[in-house]
Amino acid sequence: MLNDSYTILKKEFGSYFRTPTAYIIIGVYLVISMFSTFYSAYFFMNNNSGLGSFFSYQPEILVILIPALTMKLWADERRSGTLEFILTQPISYNAIILGKFGAAVLFGILLLALTGPFVIYVSFLTELDWQNIVSGYLATILTIMVLTSIGCLISSFNSNAVLAYLFSVFVGWLLISLNYDFMLAPLFPLSENVTYLLSQSLNFYANYLDMTQGEPGLDNLTYFLSLTILILWINRVTIEYKKQ
Amino acid sequence: MIVAKNISKNFETRKALDNLNFCLNKGDIVSLLGPNGAGKTTLLRILTGYLSPSSGSVEIYGHNPQQERVAVLSKIGYVPENAPLYPEMSVYDFLAFAGRLRHLKGQDLQKSLQETIINLQLQNVLTQRIETLSKGFKHRVAIAAALLHRPKILILDEPTEGLDPNQKFEMHKFIRQYGQQSIIIISTHILEEVEAISNRVLLLHKGKLIRDTSPQELKLSGNDFDIASAFRAMTGEDNVE
Repeated sequence: MLNDSYTILKKEFGSYFRTPTAYIIIGVYLVISMFSTFYSAYFFMNNNSGLGSFFSYQPEILVILIPALTMKLWADERRSGTLEFILTQPISYNAIILGKFGAAVLFGILLLALTGPFVIYVSFLTELDWQNIVSGYLATILTIMVLTSIGCLISSFNSNAVLAYLFSVFVGWLLISLNYDFMLAPLFPLSENVTYLLSQSLNFYANYLDMTQGEPGLDNLTYFLSLTILILWINRVTIEYKKQ
Repeated sequence: MIVAKNISKNFETRKALDNLNFCLNKGDIVSLLGPNGAGKTTLLRILTGYLSPSSGSVEIYGHNPQQERVAVLSKIGYVPENAPLYPEMSVYDFLAFAGRLRHLKGQDLQKSLQETIINLQLQNVLTQRIETLSKGFKHRVAIAAALLHRPKILILDEPTEGLDPNQKFEMHKFIRQYGQQSIIIISTHILEEVEAISNRVLLLHKGKLIRDTSPQELKLSGNDFDIASAFRAMTGEDNVE
């Protein structure tokens, strides 16, 4: 299955570079990331040994950019009729879904890799907390995985890539901004502690901040990975259901 | 060998296929005939496992397309209607991609690519992007992709639509040759090519298999002793239930 996924991944990753899309996304990402880090966050006025001002804006930036990578993955297959081609190849649906997902995640990791020179530059200005930085990059990769799975799922619903983009941005934004307190409080009226703990464990930002502050835990990893796997599984169900 | 037993397919309230039974063997070149909406494409999609039947079963060389999708599809080369391709890819990249999807690697992939490219006469367009090709070439690329793994079953949905007479002639020649060693199923509206290429006809009307016969016998059923008149007699308005 991994070989088949790799074949799909290579094709999808290559297709980003057959149009100007990839270069535009890279340019926009780097400009927005650097702007938010150096300007909005008053970079030089804060202690940035863990690159906190860089990582703190990554979810918002990726919510806008990752859907641009995922919007066509399934929508274009449906629009152009190639969905029937790809789904009648002797490879499993899981391999196809993983290949497409992997291509977008790999592109996301490429975006992050391009911020390497920025980290090197900052290391000349200040003493860096490398544990924080590695943990921050890991949190950002996990964020990319969650947002990519959302984008893939929404792209599989319809044949309109623009709609898929807009809806993916909306759902991604909901995920990172939603506070679950108001939903959970009525369920556990007598225990504020239970409400708080559940709310924190479901909250995207709480998990993300734990990691970018250099305190990654198994609970954070479980949160991001289980969310990704759940959404990819729904994606598989959608593909099977929608072709009927 | 393809065995279809009591296949029916419903789309909500509409019955697209109604209790189809047939058996196809090596050497059968089958024309799937029927008016628009008769269920031809639905049947092809069920054979490839793309759709599942509402009831009944299909066996392809002993495998069920729903439960053993990968095993079945490794025996099938399928060109869907309108021959969908990835327009931004070059012909060579697309064929290599299709070959890898059929688990061809290294020398086997190269050999298969070379043979198929020569057979389908694609040498001059290998580096061209698919979106720049004529309709005829796009069809040939799609058929080339379906043939890379030398499938035992070739399923073509409207393979000659949009081809010029020379291209049609070449396509007919190719189908006759390839059909000697395999099962070929062709969905078509072009009645003249039924006799030119096939040795068996499955005639669908309103989802039912109303005739399983040879082109020669089908001709005898028409008033003018040709396939067109037989087709009209069996599927025309007079026969609408």
